Amino acid sequence: MLALLFILFGGLAIGCALAVVAQRNPLYSAISLIGVFISLACLYVMLAAPFIAAVQVIVYAGAIMVLVVFVIMLLNVEQEQRGRGRLKFLVPIAVALAAVLIAEVAFILVSVQEFPAATVSNIGLTHSIGTQLFTRYLLPFEITSILLLMAIVGAMTLARRGGLLSATARVIPGAQILPRSLVDPRAAPDDLRAVEADTTDEAARLMGVTDLRSHSK
Amino acid sequence: MEPQLSWYLALSAVLFTIGVTGVIIKRNVIAMFMCIELMLNAVNLTFVAFASFFQDVVGQLFVFIVMTVAAAEAAVGLGIIISIFRNRESLDVDEASILKL
Repeated sequence: MLALLFILFGGLAIGCALAVVAQRNPLYSAISLIGVFISLACLYVMLAAPFIAAVQVIVYAGAIMVLVVFVIMLLNVEQEQRGRGRLKFLVPIAVALAAVLIAEVAFILVSVQEFPAATVSNIGLTHSIGTQLFTRYLLPFEITSILLLMAIVGAMTLARRGGLLSATARVIPGAQILPRSLVDPRAAPDDLRAVEADTTDEAARLMGVTDLRSHSK
Repeated sequence: MEPQLSWYLALSAVLFTIGVTGVIIKRNVIAMFMCIELMLNAVNLTFVAFASFFQDVVGQLFVFIVMTVAAAEAAVGLGIIISIFRNRESLDVDEASILKL
Protein backbone atom coordinates (compact mmCIF):
# COMPACT_ATOMS: atom_id res chain seq x y z
CA MET A 1 0.00 0.00 0.00
CA LEU A 2 2.74 2.46 0.99
CA ALA A 3 4.74 1.38 -2.03
CA LEU A 4 1.79 2.22 -4.27
CA LEU A 5 1.52 5.66 -2.65
CA PHE A 6 5.26 6.19 -3.11
CA ILE A 7 5.00 5.30 -6.80
CA LEU A 8 1.99 7.59 -7.20
CA PHE A 9 3.52 10.65 -5.55
CA GLY A 10 7.05 10.00 -6.81
CA GLY A 11 5.79 9.63 -10.35
CA LEU A 12 3.75 12.80 -9.98
CA ALA A 13 6.82 14.65 -8.71
CA ILE A 14 9.00 13.44 -11.57
CA GLY A 15 6.34 14.20 -14.17
CA CYS A 16 5.78 17.70 -12.84
CA ALA A 17 9.56 18.29 -12.65
CA LEU A 18 9.92 17.25 -16.30
CA ALA A 19 7.09 19.64 -17.16
CA VAL A 20 8.92 22.45 -15.35
CA VAL A 21 11.90 21.98 -17.67
CA ALA A 22 9.90 21.23 -20.82
CA GLN A 23 7.44 24.13 -20.70
CA ARG A 24 8.40 27.25 -22.63
CA ASN A 25 5.96 29.55 -20.84
CA PRO A 26 7.36 30.38 -17.38
CA LEU A 27 3.84 30.53 -15.91
CA TYR A 28 3.18 26.89 -16.84
CA SER A 29 6.58 26.01 -15.34
CA ALA A 30 5.52 27.69 -12.10
CA ILE A 31 2.25 25.73 -11.97
CA SER A 32 4.14 22.47 -12.58
CA LEU A 33 6.60 23.39 -9.82
CA ILE A 34 3.67 23.76 -7.41
CA GLY A 35 2.71 20.19 -8.38
CA VAL A 36 6.23 19.04 -7.45
CA PHE A 37 5.97 20.79 -4.08
CA ILE A 38 2.58 19.26 -3.28
CA SER A 39 3.69 15.72 -4.14
CA LEU A 40 6.87 16.17 -2.08
CA ALA A 41 4.70 17.29 0.84
CA CYS A 42 2.72 14.04 0.49
CA LEU A 43 6.02 12.10 0.55
CA TYR A 44 7.02 13.96 3.73
CA VAL A 45 3.78 12.82 5.36
CA MET A 46 4.65 9.24 4.38
CA LEU A 47 8.08 9.78 5.98
CA ALA A 48 6.45 10.74 9.31
CA ALA A 49 7.31 14.44 9.00
CA PRO A 50 3.95 16.24 9.20
CA PHE A 51 5.46 19.53 10.34
CA ILE A 52 7.84 19.69 7.39
CA ALA A 53 4.99 18.74 5.06
CA ALA A 54 2.85 21.61 6.35
CA VAL A 55 5.74 24.08 6.11
CA GLN A 56 6.46 22.83 2.60
CA VAL A 57 2.93 23.63 1.47
CA ILE A 58 2.72 26.95 3.32
CA VAL A 59 6.18 28.37 2.60
CA TYR A 60 7.04 26.85 -0.77
CA ALA A 61 3.73 26.35 -2.53
CA GLY A 62 2.29 29.38 -0.78
CA ALA A 63 4.75 32.17 -0.24
CA ILE A 64 7.64 31.53 -2.63
CA MET A 65 5.56 30.48 -5.63
CA VAL A 66 3.18 33.41 -5.16
CA LEU A 67 6.25 35.66 -5.28
CA VAL A 68 7.51 33.95 -8.45
CA VAL A 69 4.12 34.09 -10.20
CA PHE A 70 3.76 37.73 -9.17
CA VAL A 71 7.12 38.59 -10.73
CA ILE A 72 6.27 36.63 -13.90
CA MET A 73 3.06 38.61 -14.29
CA LEU A 74 4.70 41.90 -13.29
CA LEU A 75 7.40 41.58 -15.93
CA ASN A 76 4.98 40.22 -18.58
CA VAL A 77 7.45 37.53 -19.61
CA GLU A 78 7.23 36.44 -23.22
CA GLN A 79 7.71 32.84 -24.24
CA GLU A 80 11.20 31.65 -25.03
CA GLN A 81 12.03 31.74 -28.69
CA ARG A 82 13.25 28.48 -30.07
CA GLY A 83 16.77 28.07 -31.41
CA ARG A 84 18.00 31.61 -30.85
CA GLY A 85 20.64 31.02 -28.22
CA ARG A 86 24.37 31.28 -28.67
CA LEU A 87 25.04 28.47 -26.21
CA LYS A 88 23.54 25.55 -28.11
CA PHE A 89 26.52 23.36 -27.23
CA LEU A 90 25.17 23.26 -23.68
CA VAL A 91 22.33 20.93 -24.67
CA PRO A 92 24.53 17.84 -25.34
CA ILE A 93 26.46 18.66 -22.15
CA ALA A 94 23.19 18.66 -20.23
CA VAL A 95 22.19 15.32 -21.71
CA ALA A 96 25.58 13.81 -20.80
CA LEU A 97 25.30 15.19 -17.28
CA ALA A 98 21.83 13.71 -16.94
CA ALA A 99 23.18 10.31 -18.04
CA VAL A 100 25.93 10.49 -15.39
CA LEU A 101 23.47 11.33 -12.65
CA ILE A 102 21.05 8.61 -13.72
CA ALA A 103 23.97 6.17 -13.46
CA GLU A 104 24.44 7.51 -9.95
CA VAL A 105 20.81 6.65 -9.20
CA ALA A 106 21.45 3.10 -10.34
CA PHE A 107 24.48 2.99 -8.02
CA ILE A 108 22.31 4.14 -5.11
CA LEU A 109 19.69 1.50 -5.82
CA VAL A 110 22.31 -1.24 -5.95
CA SER A 111 24.63 -0.30 -3.12
CA VAL A 112 22.75 1.56 -0.38
CA GLN A 113 22.24 -0.56 2.71
CA GLU A 114 18.58 -0.96 3.56
CA PHE A 115 17.29 0.05 6.96
CA PRO A 116 14.06 -1.22 8.46
CA ALA A 117 11.49 1.53 8.30
CA ALA A 118 10.44 2.90 11.66
CA THR A 119 7.06 1.72 12.76
CA VAL A 120 6.32 4.23 15.51
CA SER A 121 7.93 7.62 15.16
CA ASN A 122 7.55 10.92 16.93
CA ILE A 123 10.58 12.73 15.55
CA GLY A 124 8.61 14.70 12.98
CA LEU A 125 6.11 16.20 15.36
CA THR A 126 6.09 19.92 15.94
CA HIS A 127 6.84 19.37 19.63
CA SER A 128 10.12 17.52 19.11
CA ILE A 129 11.27 19.84 16.33
CA GLY A 130 10.51 22.92 18.41
CA THR A 131 12.24 21.50 21.48
CA GLN A 132 15.43 20.84 19.55
CA LEU A 133 15.21 24.11 17.64
CA PHE A 134 14.98 26.30 20.73
CA THR A 135 17.45 24.45 22.94
CA ARG A 136 20.31 22.71 21.23
CA TYR A 137 20.11 24.44 17.85
CA LEU A 138 19.25 27.94 19.03
CA LEU A 139 22.29 29.57 17.40
CA PRO A 140 21.47 28.40 13.85
CA PHE A 141 17.89 29.54 14.43
CA GLU A 142 19.04 33.04 15.40
CA ILE A 143 21.45 33.18 12.47
CA THR A 144 18.53 32.26 10.24
CA SER A 145 16.56 35.22 11.55
CA ILE A 146 19.49 37.53 10.78
CA LEU A 147 19.61 36.03 7.28
CA LEU A 148 15.93 36.82 6.78
CA LEU A 149 16.48 40.41 7.95
CA MET A 150 19.34 40.77 5.46
CA ALA A 151 17.11 39.36 2.72
CA ILE A 152 14.39 41.91 3.50
CA VAL A 153 16.84 44.82 3.40
CA GLY A 154 18.55 43.48 0.27
CA ALA A 155 15.29 42.94 -1.62
CA MET A 156 14.07 46.43 -0.80
CA THR A 157 17.38 47.95 -1.85
CA LEU A 158 17.40 46.03 -5.13
CA ALA A 159 13.79 46.59 -6.13
CA ARG A 160 13.73 50.24 -5.06
CA ARG A 161 13.03 52.63 -7.88
CA GLY A 162 16.03 54.88 -7.59
CA GLY A 163 17.00 57.55 -9.98
CA LEU A 164 15.44 60.74 -11.27
CA LEU A 165 14.17 62.35 -8.11
CA SER A 166 15.95 63.08 -4.88
CA ALA A 167 16.30 60.44 -2.21
CA THR A 168 13.75 62.11 0.04
CA ALA A 169 10.96 62.39 -2.53
CA ARG A 170 9.09 59.67 -4.40
CA VAL A 171 6.28 60.04 -6.87
CA ILE A 172 3.93 57.13 -6.27
CA PRO A 173 2.26 55.76 -9.43
CA GLY A 174 -1.24 57.13 -9.78
CA ALA A 175 -2.33 60.70 -10.14
CA GLN A 176 -0.35 62.88 -7.77
CA ILE A 177 -0.26 66.58 -7.07
CA LEU A 178 2.93 67.52 -5.27
CA PRO A 179 4.40 70.92 -4.48
CA ARG A 180 7.34 71.61 -6.71
CA SER A 181 9.72 72.22 -3.84
CA LEU A 182 9.05 68.74 -2.46
CA VAL A 183 10.21 66.84 -5.54
CA ASP A 184 12.79 69.23 -6.97
CA PRO A 185 15.59 70.01 -4.51
CA ARG A 186 16.78 72.88 -6.69
CA ALA A 187 13.47 74.74 -6.58
CA ALA A 188 12.99 77.62 -4.22
CA PRO A 189 11.24 76.66 -0.98
CA ASP A 190 8.43 79.14 -1.64
CA ASP A 191 7.77 77.84 -5.15
CA LEU A 192 4.16 76.69 -4.87
CA ARG A 193 3.45 75.75 -8.50
CA ALA A 194 2.01 72.23 -8.46
CA VAL A 195 3.20 69.35 -10.63
CA GLU A 196 0.57 66.79 -11.67
CA ALA A 197 1.86 63.51 -13.05
CA ASP A 198 1.07 59.80 -13.20
CA THR A 199 4.61 58.47 -13.03
CA THR A 200 8.03 59.51 -11.85
CA ASP A 201 9.28 59.91 -15.40
CA GLU A 202 6.31 62.04 -16.37
CA ALA A 203 6.80 64.28 -13.33
CA ALA A 204 10.46 64.70 -14.17
CA ARG A 205 9.62 65.53 -17.79
CA LEU A 206 6.96 68.06 -16.80
CA MET A 207 9.37 69.77 -14.45
CA GLY A 208 12.16 69.70 -17.01
CA VAL A 209 14.35 67.76 -14.60
CA THR A 210 16.91 65.69 -16.44
CA ASP A 211 20.11 65.70 -14.43
CA LEU A 212 18.78 64.94 -10.98
CA ARG A 213 20.42 61.53 -11.04
CA SER A 214 23.83 63.11 -10.80
CA HIS A 215 22.48 65.87 -8.58
CA SER A 216 21.20 63.50 -5.91
CA LYS A 217 24.42 61.51 -5.59
CA MET B 1 6.15 -3.91 0.42
CA GLU B 2 7.39 -0.87 2.31
CA PRO B 3 9.26 1.94 0.54
CA GLN B 4 12.97 1.58 1.23
CA LEU B 5 15.53 4.28 1.92
CA SER B 6 17.14 3.80 -1.47
CA TRP B 7 13.84 4.54 -3.20
CA TYR B 8 13.70 7.99 -1.66
CA LEU B 9 17.37 8.63 -2.43
CA ALA B 10 16.85 7.59 -6.05
CA LEU B 11 13.79 9.84 -6.39
CA SER B 12 15.78 12.71 -4.90
CA ALA B 13 18.67 12.14 -7.32
CA VAL B 14 16.27 12.07 -10.28
CA LEU B 15 14.66 15.35 -9.19
CA PHE B 16 18.08 16.94 -8.66
CA THR B 17 19.17 15.76 -12.12
CA ILE B 18 16.11 17.31 -13.71
CA GLY B 19 16.86 20.56 -11.86
CA VAL B 20 20.50 20.65 -13.01
CA THR B 21 19.46 19.92 -16.58
CA GLY B 22 16.92 22.73 -16.45
CA VAL B 23 19.48 25.22 -15.13
CA ILE B 24 21.82 24.30 -17.97
CA ILE B 25 19.40 24.33 -20.90
CA LYS B 26 17.05 27.13 -19.86
CA ARG B 27 17.77 30.70 -20.90
CA ASN B 28 15.00 32.51 -19.06
CA VAL B 29 16.21 33.75 -15.66
CA ILE B 30 12.93 32.97 -13.90
CA ALA B 31 12.85 29.42 -15.31
CA MET B 32 16.43 28.86 -14.11
CA PHE B 33 15.38 30.21 -10.72
CA MET B 34 12.55 27.68 -10.50
CA CYS B 35 14.94 24.86 -11.46
CA ILE B 36 17.19 25.91 -8.55
CA GLU B 37 14.16 25.64 -6.25
CA LEU B 38 13.62 22.14 -7.63
CA MET B 39 17.20 21.17 -6.71
CA LEU B 40 16.75 22.54 -3.18
CA ASN B 41 13.62 20.43 -2.81
CA ALA B 42 15.43 17.31 -3.97
CA VAL B 43 18.04 17.85 -1.25
CA ASN B 44 15.26 18.42 1.30
CA LEU B 45 13.77 15.06 0.38
CA THR B 46 17.11 13.41 1.10
CA PHE B 47 17.32 15.12 4.49
CA VAL B 48 13.80 14.06 5.49
CA ALA B 49 14.35 10.48 4.28
CA PHE B 50 17.53 10.11 6.33
CA ALA B 51 15.89 11.75 9.36
CA SER B 52 13.01 9.31 9.15
CA PHE B 53 15.07 6.18 8.65
CA PHE B 54 17.76 7.07 11.23
CA GLN B 55 15.19 8.32 13.77
CA ASP B 56 17.05 11.62 14.14
CA VAL B 57 15.31 14.99 14.22
CA VAL B 58 18.38 16.97 13.09
CA GLY B 59 17.67 16.26 9.42
CA GLN B 60 14.30 17.93 9.69
CA LEU B 61 15.86 20.93 11.41
CA PHE B 62 18.19 21.26 8.44
CA VAL B 63 15.19 21.17 6.11
CA PHE B 64 13.68 24.01 8.11
CA ILE B 65 16.85 26.08 7.68
CA VAL B 66 17.12 25.21 3.99
CA MET B 67 13.55 26.46 3.50
CA THR B 68 14.50 29.74 5.19
CA VAL B 69 17.49 30.12 2.90
CA ALA B 70 15.23 29.38 -0.07
CA ALA B 71 12.81 32.10 1.02
CA ALA B 72 15.65 34.62 1.39
CA GLU B 73 17.00 33.52 -1.99
CA ALA B 74 13.59 34.03 -3.56
CA ALA B 75 13.28 37.56 -2.19
CA VAL B 76 16.77 38.70 -3.18
CA GLY B 77 16.85 36.75 -6.44
CA LEU B 78 13.56 38.13 -7.67
CA GLY B 79 14.75 41.63 -6.72
CA ILE B 80 17.83 41.07 -8.88
CA ILE B 81 15.64 39.74 -11.71
CA ILE B 82 13.43 42.85 -11.59
CA SER B 83 16.54 45.03 -11.58
CA ILE B 84 17.99 43.21 -14.61
CA PHE B 85 14.69 43.48 -16.47
CA ARG B 86 14.49 47.23 -15.82
CA ASN B 87 17.95 47.78 -17.25
CA ARG B 88 17.87 45.39 -20.21
CA GLU B 89 14.17 44.89 -21.05
CA SER B 90 14.94 41.16 -21.34
CA LEU B 91 15.15 38.10 -19.13
CA ASP B 92 17.52 36.18 -21.40
CA VAL B 93 20.69 35.23 -19.51
CA ASP B 94 22.68 35.40 -22.74
CA GLU B 95 21.85 39.09 -22.93
CA ALA B 96 23.09 39.72 -19.39
CA SER B 97 26.68 38.75 -20.08
CA ILE B 98 28.37 41.67 -18.35
CA LEU B 99 28.22 42.21 -14.62
CA LYS B 100 27.47 45.91 -14.87
CA LEU B 101 23.80 46.74 -14.64
